[in-house]
Amino acid sequence: MGELIVNGSTSARDEAAVRVGGLSRRYGEIRALDAVDLTLDRGITGLLGPNGAGKTTLLSILATVNEPDAGDIKIFGLNPKIHAERVQIRRQLGFLPQELGYHRHFTVAGFLDYVAILKEIVDRRRRAEEVARVLATVGMEGFGRRRIRTLSGGFRQRLAIAQSLLGSPELLVLDEPTAGLDTEQRLRFRELLSNLPGDPVIVLSTHQADDIAAICPRVVVVLDGRIAFAGTPTALADTAAGHVWTATQRDERAHMSWRDGDNQWRHIGDLPPTGSVTATPTVEDGYLLLSHAGGKR
Amino acid sequence: MTNVRARSVVSLARIEAVHLSRSVPVLSGLMVSGVAMWLITYRSQPLWWSNDWRIGYGQTVISLTVLVGAQLATARSRRDGLQELYESFPTSTGQRTLAHLIGVLGAAPAAVLLVGVAAGAFALQGALGTPDLTTLIGGILLVLAGGVIGVAIGSRFPHPLAGVLGAFVWLLPFSQSNRFNSAIPWLFPWVKPAQLSELPRRLAGYPPALAHALELAAIVVLAGVVALAITSAARRHRVGLLVAGAAGLAGLVVTCLVQLQPIPTRDIDRVVSEAANTGAAQHCTTSEANGHNVRYCLYPAFGSLLPTVQAPVNGVLSLTPVQLAHPLTISQTSGLDIEDSTLTHGHSSQQVTAWRARLQNAPANLPSSSAIYVNLGRWPSGGHQQSVARFDLALGAAEWAVGLPTNTGPPTGLLPTQCVPLNQAREAIAIWLAARATHLPTAQFQGRNGSYSVAAVDGTAVVVWTYPGEISGYFASPGPQTTADGYLLAQAMTKLPTARVLGLLTSNWDSWISPHATNAELASALGITLPAVRLVGPRGQVITPLAPPGSQPQCTT
Repeated sequence: MGELIVNGSTSARDEAAVRVGGLSRRYGEIRALDAVDLTLDRGITGLLGPNGAGKTTLLSILATVNEPDAGDIKIFGLNPKIHAERVQIRRQLGFLPQELGYHRHFTVAGFLDYVAILKEIVDRRRRAEEVARVLATVGMEGFGRRRIRTLSGGFRQRLAIAQSLLGSPELLVLDEPTAGLDTEQRLRFRELLSNLPGDPVIVLSTHQADDIAAICPRVVVVLDGRIAFAGTPTALADTAAGHVWTATQRDERAHMSWRDGDNQWRHIGDLPPTGSVTATPTVEDGYLLLSHAGGKR
Repeated sequence: MTNVRARSVVSLARIEAVHLSRSVPVLSGLMVSGVAMWLITYRSQPLWWSNDWRIGYGQTVISLTVLVGAQLATARSRRDGLQELYESFPTSTGQRTLAHLIGVLGAAPAAVLLVGVAAGAFALQGALGTPDLTTLIGGILLVLAGGVIGVAIGSRFPHPLAGVLGAFVWLLPFSQSNRFNSAIPWLFPWVKPAQLSELPRRLAGYPPALAHALELAAIVVLAGVVALAITSAARRHRVGLLVAGAAGLAGLVVTCLVQLQPIPTRDIDRVVSEAANTGAAQHCTTSEANGHNVRYCLYPAFGSLLPTVQAPVNGVLSLTPVQLAHPLTISQTSGLDIEDSTLTHGHSSQQVTAWRARLQNAPANLPSSSAIYVNLGRWPSGGHQQSVARFDLALGAAEWAVGLPTNTGPPTGLLPTQCVPLNQAREAIAIWLAARATHLPTAQFQGRNGSYSVAAVDGTAVVVWTYPGEISGYFASPGPQTTADGYLLAQAMTKLPTARVLGLLTSNWDSWISPHATNAELASALGITLPAVRLVGPRGQVITPLAPPGSQPQCTT
């Protein structure tokens, strides 16, 4: 597989913030990543893929908590295989793992303060400012003294996002950050990411294609440990052009079909159903078509 | 370590210390330790050369709970599912472990608080001697060692029960130390030596406090090295850890070897001399009360006890109507057990035999009717226990006043050597004198003090009265075996006006203290009905006592 450059011009390749080449990772017999080449620039990159496709492995390698079996990575020109450079990367990193636990007896501010120290924010006053800033960013002002165990799932997720923002990281690796958030919180999250100062590199893994369409200028689809697509959301949607229709009845030949809110059947497939109308494809359509093709392969 | 990393570690350590100090295990350990300390010290005389070691023993509980708390804290990130996140931070696992190790200091204030409160309580009780700083520091190191071991366990085993299991392993030596002889118990985290409260002063090297504190320090170093070795992946740290580990191990070996060294012969010799030849070791003063001279002999460190010992004796003497020819001596005695191998390890059996022979000839081991031997280390510092001890001492003085033996010596074989003043009026007089002298409240005297049992006297079953404190070991050996008849008669006498009883006794003292004057005669002279003993079974039935095997003699002189 050739190198795919997200948002890629040749000049961008030379200045890429994150460059991954030939990345492979196996867990026993399972091939999680297979010779992945990827280049990421500043801005938000959405990562789409089914469960087990390798997204989390890729993100954990980018977050320097997992090591590939083969391949090279450069993050801001630094090699995470070298201890000193790995520490340098971590100083610029904000990471939200997929399944984050909690120190239930910590207070919200206490937990963030603890994480801030782990991020080497050693000045007490600056730490307090940072904690206040990220709490405000995720809309949790006034929650500082609350015990984490008393928070609802949505607020815990906000807290998880808040910790990743401590220290204004240059690289933000977010694995399914909108899981557990309600609609309003998801919209707030989109707003939050869009307004982050400093134009950091953000890698966002999600199952929510509409999140990708809404805030990601770039999208990468991972299927079976490989990069199946890298480009803009529009380009991903365009891959489904001519493959999406609406009809009044279900067509068995469709790869996928479902009834939408207007009581119309939306079909994704290779052949149009009888009496169907061609529909404008979405990012989700593109992703589903790609997944289906990947599944057949 | 760079400045930023060092500051990160210090900041984390500060937070961990606060968390540990406020953790449920540590706070509960603090309370239980406090209670444990109280339980193991409140009954005994506060002697600093014994109690500083007992403070450390009480701290074993908090050492265990600090171990559990530190393990929980160290394994928190893994247990709470935050390990992956924590690994993404520039602060390494090794640095976090180092912070946890330093954070164990958060338990130090609790340990110091225990020492402070215990020291304050002992000072208020008038503790004798001075505390040994090394021993007290050893107790604090015991607590810290528990914490560092907890960090080491938590670094490898995140399960919350791992700390509890570790605490059991750490506890095991405490419970098993009595299985070992010689100096082996010193190598255990902490033990409670039985002989400390039998010593008239601090015996250098018993226990070997400095070497033991250094052993605990070496355990702290070793456990810390293990914790860091488990979590620090950096090769450049390996050399430092190897050196520190080797130093810790060497320290452990050396301190253990030092603790196994025998106590110098001259030191034990001196203690044995002080216990066996009390006349040369004690300061004696003679005081006069109501025309009687009483000699009080106390070890130099116990001089402040004199007033509390004098008070009950003077109370008896002030009621005794006649001058007695033979003087009374109140002397301290040591229950030093030379068979205790923690004391005599490394010395030849001939040497131990010689020491044993000297101790067997101590005055307290010889029967006497003019000396009372107060066991050192047993005199209570206050409260109900002291009022009981004062009554017992007053009873001893009263028995001397009525001509009963005051010290029967150690038992030979299984049979008690106490004589029984069967149906002798002087027994009731002695009990009455003791009760009046100590102003024992009538309710307390008549209440559930002492207990009844059955003894055989010349083949006949006799109901005897074990008076309060008789089995508490305040004295080297008791006077006569008091009977229930004598106690009940004395109890009836306390209901009469003191002047009336005294008037009767003064009029014919020599006759009343004769072994031939009976309880019935005394009761009749006082105009009271002689109380009878009735033993009642659980269903209210009257029990006829049966004579147990063996027989005690009557008091005939």
